[in-house]
Amino acid sequence: MSIVRKVVKEIEKRKALTAILLMLFMMLFFDTRFYTAYNLLDMLNSAAILEMLAFGVTLVIICGGCDFSIGAMMSLAGIITIKLMDHMPLGPAICAAVACGALVGFINGFLVVKQKTEPFIITLGMGMLLKGIAQQITDAHPVPAKNLSYMKIANGKVLFGIPNLIIIMIVMLLLFYYILRYTPFGRNCYAVGGDYHVATQSGIRAERIKWAAFVICGAMAAFCGVLLSSKLNTGSSIYGDSTALSVNCGCVVGGTSFAGGVGGILQSFIGLLAIQVLENCMNMLGISAYVQKVCEGVIILLILWFDNYAQKRKKEAV
Amino acid sequence: MDAKTRIGYFVKNNLVLVTIMILAAVTALIEPKFLTVANLGNLMNQFGPLSFVALGMTLAIIGGFIDLSVAGIVSLSAVFTISMIDVLGQGGALIAGLAAGVAMGLLNAFIVVSCGALTQAKALFITYGLSAVYSAAALLYTDGATQHMSHLASRTDLFKAVGSGRAGFIPASFLLFIIIMALLHVFLTRTQTGREICLTGANITAADLCGIPVKRRITLVFVLSGVLSAFGAIVLFSRITTASPLLGANYETNAILAVVVGGTSLAGGRGSVVRTMLGVMLVILLSNCLNLLGVSTYLQSVCKGAVLIIAIWLDRRRVK
Repeated sequence: MSIVRKVVKEIEKRKALTAILLMLFMMLFFDTRFYTAYNLLDMLNSAAILEMLAFGVTLVIICGGCDFSIGAMMSLAGIITIKLMDHMPLGPAICAAVACGALVGFINGFLVVKQKTEPFIITLGMGMLLKGIAQQITDAHPVPAKNLSYMKIANGKVLFGIPNLIIIMIVMLLLFYYILRYTPFGRNCYAVGGDYHVATQSGIRAERIKWAAFVICGAMAAFCGVLLSSKLNTGSSIYGDSTALSVNCGCVVGGTSFAGGVGGILQSFIGLLAIQVLENCMNMLGISAYVQKVCEGVIILLILWFDNYAQKRKKEAV
Repeated sequence: MDAKTRIGYFVKNNLVLVTIMILAAVTALIEPKFLTVANLGNLMNQFGPLSFVALGMTLAIIGGFIDLSVAGIVSLSAVFTISMIDVLGQGGALIAGLAAGVAMGLLNAFIVVSCGALTQAKALFITYGLSAVYSAAALLYTDGATQHMSHLASRTDLFKAVGSGRAGFIPASFLLFIIIMALLHVFLTRTQTGREICLTGANITAADLCGIPVKRRITLVFVLSGVLSAFGAIVLFSRITTASPLLGANYETNAILAVVVGGTSLAGGRGSVVRTMLGVMLVILLSNCLNLLGVSTYLQSVCKGAVLIIAIWLDRRRVK
């Protein structure tokens, strides 16, 4: 195999990473404030919450599902925490919100795994339901947090001036990487997503594994909701309207396929980072918000197209 | 078979009809005005935009797909049509709007077919992505501003007639709905192409092996769904006389809700547009009833989400 073909193949495999490098290279030629420590750190900081959402979703996608209720779950969890803080200390309030997320994930998992419904449409309906609840609780007004220490969770800088959010993200990244890579649960996720039937026949409790992935994803979404409301010091039902699409597709951008069984945490991390870098570049270049939206949509579409096309070609080759 | 099991069977097979009757009875008990001719006209009027989008969605679902791009199509074709009225006159704008629906349906079909996303799950993501593109294009096209029909220089009486005209106490949009529904019903049950769409939805591999041009049938389904959504958009903005670029938000979930509640199976191949009419009726009665009970719009959206999930769940159990 010639070197060119090798390079092409490598690029095809690492589309997202190539895209990031291309964009970084391109930005060298524009006179913007892109290459400042402030901007780069800020980019990571604003990516952190989406990245963490993606870690949970990646588990579900690898198991062969998807979760589109995470956006609404995120906004609801923030509201729940802030509302509960009036009645109890910070810790239990956060735990309660995360438990709510786990419960929603449990219900999603029940409907998808036990009742064999289409995950996409069920979680979309669940998102609608959760958003309604969030609006009902808050009357569609933003709710401010009164507790100052709550704000410090996401906005503080405990270690060497690095924002807490980035540190939490890195810890979560390592944790999820370990889980998927080195624990039986993580390995079984790949088996279940790769071929549900074969996994069941090999004695893996496929139902439980997939169900657990949904629960973890729900809990993670709630946790991110807590961080988001802490970062903005408010909870609001309008957060997260378009989050679900960009997070789910960000995972696919990185190479985690909706077909299930392929991908990983690092890939999703890079995929979401690519979207974030793109957004930041477009902001820096002063492109209007609506053009940005169209670009983002078209790029997501292209990636979905390639993901499907690659699957089709693979099938035809077999 | 004794009377009890017979009633049980009837309820099981006509769950929607029974629910509609119960809801109507409950509403009539709470609000005696419910059973007046004027209110009946109002109820028919509410069929409006959603019913057309739901008809398109029914075709897509029977054909084995779920077209999530309808939200984007509604937004984009509404702002496009309204901006064309001054350029092309009202007749021309109407045709241009419907043509935009056809074009978007064709684009959907082209993308879905060209990358081989011929299963429901795969096409879902693609149409969802397309919806995002269409909505963003609508925002870009109008620069985020709402378009007003009253600001136009040309006459708009054709649109006014479509949106809020009445023949006696029956709204024009309801008449149009009934006509289109009847045509589609005949198309699906009595023509070869219609039957081929049903077979494609039920089992695409089998349909392909039988020599049915599945790709062309899928294209037809998406085009019909696109053009009906565009028509729904026209009815919608004619009625409210404004078109915001966010007009179509949530239309996809409401349309799926109406279709699934009506009893068309998400598995594809089975269902009918008449059932969808019942589904739309149920959704309208439900929100009518909840309004009368004084339930907030937010809780109503919770109810709708719950009904959607339960309907899909029941549908799945029936298929099993």
